[in-house]
Amino acid sequence: MKTWMMKLFGRTPPGGMSCHQVGEVLQQYLDGEIDAERAGRIEAHLDECRRCGMEAETYERIRATLAAQRPDVPAESVDRLREFGQRLARGEDPTTP
Amino acid sequence: MGDSAVDDQAFETYVLPEIEVLLRVANSLTRNHAEAEDLVQDSLIRAYRGISRFDGRHPRAWLLTILRNTHINRNRRRRPELLRDPDAATDRLVSAASDERTDAGVDDEIDAEIIRALDSLDEPFRRVVELVDIDGLTYAEAAEVLDVPVGTVMSRLHRARSRIRDRLDRVGFDPRSHM
Repeated sequence: MKTWMMKLFGRTPPGGMSCHQVGEVLQQYLDGEIDAERAGRIEAHLDECRRCGMEAETYERIRATLAAQRPDVPAESVDRLREFGQRLARGEDPTTP
Repeated sequence: MGDSAVDDQAFETYVLPEIEVLLRVANSLTRNHAEAEDLVQDSLIRAYRGISRFDGRHPRAWLLTILRNTHINRNRRRRPELLRDPDAATDRLVSAASDERTDAGVDDEIDAEIIRALDSLDEPFRRVVELVDIDGLTYAEAAEVLDVPVGTVMSRLHRARSRIRDRLDRVGFDPRSHM
């Protein structure tokens, strides 16, 4: 139901937020970049609103696909760099063997 | 090389745990693994020299700033073409990386469409999606790497993902039939 209709009939939109309000912060919510109080209200909205729920699922799918593209960082590179850093911290010149 | 044992300890405490993140972001910036490792090495040296001035707050953000500046300085020295036409040069690098990504074998059509949509984004938008969604940085950390305000990261991210979503809509993606 549209927000204005809900107001007209005395109903509060799910979570106390309109679809437009949820849409504006949905990505911040999915990224965990929003405070707990607003996150709770968005969750309540998504539970009840099919359209926003589907929007959230689409973005979740996009995020999951992209996260799966994260290339492995070779452990030997990390080890080499850590050794490099440790030699720096010991006051050695890490560029010499 | 160090000024004091305190600085050496601070370097071990604040810098060494961030090496993996630095390497991941360096890979995104350079698109070349050997170059990324060199970039992180140079950044570690700069961080070591600057550790006595670091206040201990937000070490990752501090290191990402060093990484970004080191990357810019290295490009200035080694890739004069980036100064003449930075977008074109970066696009060539990104294009090569995209080919690798596509060749890696994306077995699902929706996943492939998402990757194609990412690759079709303009550089500033693609870059922020890569830093946040692929490299896993927070908005604030991505802002450090890109040297833009957090609000710019948020707006670019919002626009970029909306474009990817629109592309999925056009191919008839229904999340509830794919999850």
